[in-house]
Amino acid sequence: MYCGIDLGSRNVKIALMDEEGRLEFFKFDTIAFYREHGRLEEGRLAVDLSVLLPAGTKPRTVVSTGYGRQTVALKGARVIPEIKAHVLGAVHLTGLSDFTLLDLGGQDSKVALVRGGRLIDFQTNDKCAASTGRYLENMAVVLNITLDELSRHYENPVDLSSTCAIFGETELIGKVLEGHLIPSLAAGVNYTIFKRIRPMLLRLFSDTLVFTGGVAQNAALRKILAKELGVRVVVPENPQYTGAVGCCVEAKLTAMPHLQRH
Amino acid sequence: MKSRRVGITTTVPVEVIYAAGCIPVDLNNVFITDPNPRGLVEEAELAGYPRNVCAWIKGLYSTVLRHRDIRTLVAVTQGDCSNTHALMETLELVGVEVIPFAYPFGRDRDLLALQMEKLMDRFGVDWAAVNRARERLDQIRRKVWEIDRLTWQENLVGGWDNHLYQVNCSDFKGDPDAFEQEVDDFLARLKGARPRREKIRLAYIGVPPIMDDLYDYLEERGARVVYNETQRQFTLPFETEDLVERYRLYSYPYGIFYRLEDIIREVERRRVHGVIHYAQSFCFRQIEDLIVRQRLKLPILTLEGDKPNRLDARTRMRLDAFIEMLQ
Repeated sequence: MYCGIDLGSRNVKIALMDEEGRLEFFKFDTIAFYREHGRLEEGRLAVDLSVLLPAGTKPRTVVSTGYGRQTVALKGARVIPEIKAHVLGAVHLTGLSDFTLLDLGGQDSKVALVRGGRLIDFQTNDKCAASTGRYLENMAVVLNITLDELSRHYENPVDLSSTCAIFGETELIGKVLEGHLIPSLAAGVNYTIFKRIRPMLLRLFSDTLVFTGGVAQNAALRKILAKELGVRVVVPENPQYTGAVGCCVEAKLTAMPHLQRH
Repeated sequence: MKSRRVGITTTVPVEVIYAAGCIPVDLNNVFITDPNPRGLVEEAELAGYPRNVCAWIKGLYSTVLRHRDIRTLVAVTQGDCSNTHALMETLELVGVEVIPFAYPFGRDRDLLALQMEKLMDRFGVDWAAVNRARERLDQIRRKVWEIDRLTWQENLVGGWDNHLYQVNCSDFKGDPDAFEQEVDDFLARLKGARPRREKIRLAYIGVPPIMDDLYDYLEERGARVVYNETQRQFTLPFETEDLVERYRLYSYPYGIFYRLEDIIREVERRRVHGVIHYAQSFCFRQIEDLIVRQRLKLPILTLEGDKPNRLDARTRMRLDAFIEMLQ
């Protein structure tokens, strides 16, 4: 049994992988995770995994990743860079080895170029969360609709700027006042995400786009990406666990070094 | 010249200032070594500097206000940063004497010679005195070139020390004799040192970083900067006694294509695995990243620095991924 932990900005995602490669997933609110399950021991965060995971779970190796690892080193876990974790997870989950990876998470966006199963270049968002899950949540609140409803619309988008996640709310309220209907407003929101990440995707272009992170559950955005870029969009099942799965893959490779690729 | 201490906004022909018996003070170094450089940036914002302007400019502004003994400034008005224009104007407003200096965009020799002679006029010195100053400073520069050579050829020097000794060649810390002693001591300490073991060799190109923990962070992760582009340029690493030619060969103030000639030559010679291209937030040089990416055939990580002094979480995450990618 291998355990991968992705310490994200909004959620902590845990994946368990058994020797046959079967996966199980668990998710916790980040703040609650640290507050309720963590305690500091010699400057490292100790988390009692036995309370969080099914009874009797005893992982051979624990690997963690995520923004959280910058401030918190998880006791007993080896840490790997976030982009590496996502690439390993995407390769494992899709079986593909040449693609562009787009990961849109709670507060950050990443684009990585993968060739022969290896990371060869990457870009990340600047200091702005305008193309992330947090942005979508805020916009859904403004429109008073669910994230599900928001992710249904991609036609007749209203024109919104894509410069700031917070000013975007004011701009959206302005469009509501102009009398635009929810489908157009929602499509406009989805298009701002596309406009924001398009330069990164064009710089690291592939015919196949593997789309991961929580935002990959947005069907409208998947359609927009395929239509506007003319690429095949592949979304693994449970896309928000890709980083955690990548950690499991790394854990397995570490435990069985003969599997390492060189 | 009435004032003894003369502020400079980037590397200028410092020989002229020394020949006049004045003390050059690189304001960048004073700003960044201040106990609270962030406070200096905030002071400039309180005075009315916009938030979306480079932190170096803001730091320089407050540094001059703090150091009342610096009443004269040589400001580079072409070849560095156009924000310097407004920096000079806001400092003139508070009574600082500003001497403009322009590096000609096309590296024109006559125009550069004219600029240097105008500077000499302002300081009341002739070529004989300037060349004597050059000879003295070159003795120190040669020793700093040796530190650079020991970095990439003998693997004895870390990225931070390579950065530090070279960057200080912009003003020789205002005291060439004392600085030379520091350099001598450092070189003496390297005798018998064991070569460093970092596997990944990096180039650092662009302006010097506003955060000072970058080099240590890289080395903790098994990567070492063996080429600091701009810092090395500050040592004028060219074997010619013709001072106009020296500042014409000096690549920093000129276009990106000329700079790239030096970069391509050095990354090859120093067997570099990857390049960190640093650009300051809100700097026009961020645009040039697209040219760097087209011309350099090595993995490149573009880093953006904003406020002094430490790496932020996002930058650390990107550095981790880059080093991992190069392994």
